[in-house]
Amino acid sequence: MLIIFAIDALEYTLVEEFNCNNLKQKFYGKTNIREFSEPKTMVLWSSFMTGKNMEKEIVAKGDREMWNTRLDFNDTFFKQFKNPKIIDLPGFNYIKEQHEMERKLLKEYFDAKDEEGKKKVRTAYNNLSFEHHRKIKQEFSEALKGDYDFVLGYFSVADVIGHLNFGNRTMMKMIYRDLDEIAGTIKEPYIVLSDHGMEAVGIFGDHSNYGFWSTGFKDLGSPRITDFAGMIKGLSDVKL
Amino acid sequence: MSEGYGTIKIPKELLGKIEERIQGTEFKSVDEYTTFVLEEVVKEDGEEEIEEVFSEEDEKKVKERLRALGYLD
Repeated sequence: MLIIFAIDALEYTLVEEFNCNNLKQKFYGKTNIREFSEPKTMVLWSSFMTGKNMEKEIVAKGDREMWNTRLDFNDTFFKQFKNPKIIDLPGFNYIKEQHEMERKLLKEYFDAKDEEGKKKVRTAYNNLSFEHHRKIKQEFSEALKGDYDFVLGYFSVADVIGHLNFGNRTMMKMIYRDLDEIAGTIKEPYIVLSDHGMEAVGIFGDHSNYGFWSTGFKDLGSPRITDFAGMIKGLSDVKL
Repeated sequence: MSEGYGTIKIPKELLGKIEERIQGTEFKSVDEYTTFVLEEVVKEDGEEEIEEVFSEEDEKKVKERLRALGYLD
């Protein structure tokens, strides 16, 4: 079984700073996403799973419709596996209602007129994200025990929480620690991959223009996010 | 009590506040939260944690960025 621990907005510098050894593994580095004009989540994960730059196609849908993208299984590298399990991946099978609700609360936060109102929305937003995180964590943990030859678990918590709380180091450290613990429970070869990282804008967070990768078995250098589709099947034969 | 752990006493009122605070977070117990916070405070190397504060200018900037990234209409 090959596992991809897909983490939206996992930031290279924080993985280093918080010394997340399970996320770093033996080999780690930054992915190159400079070919994209904006580090958009839907564009990057779609490009990852198809192995081609999907920016033009996804952006043409418009910002609202973009989130409804559902790529066909046969257009992704997942088809190379006999029994793959994909959890909540944008552009493939992500849980639309959850992520729509997150964006709705994000909008409510910016629309709130006073500090008290913003505080309430931020709490609701954070709770919604943490609750979803716990569900995905459970589903991922069960998938790791299943009879699959490929498991991809997508975790959005660092991105969703990061947008409104990236300057809150205690909260971000708590999230990175939890993600590191999840990585520590994986007993098969795994790749950690993020679409982009995150940089601080005061208390808030914006997408950075590079992603993160790690493996315990091969130095991948400075890969583009589109390179993984071509290399993953070969990596699935490695043994710990 | 597990080996390698000790007991501390804190006011009941504070305990209640912590219980409220950890609801909806990744902390599974008051013990876990308290350990985490104390680890942050008692740093051996004296490293300081800088917590950013809210500013309207940052909010405006990030709102524009989130719009460009497709999160906001």
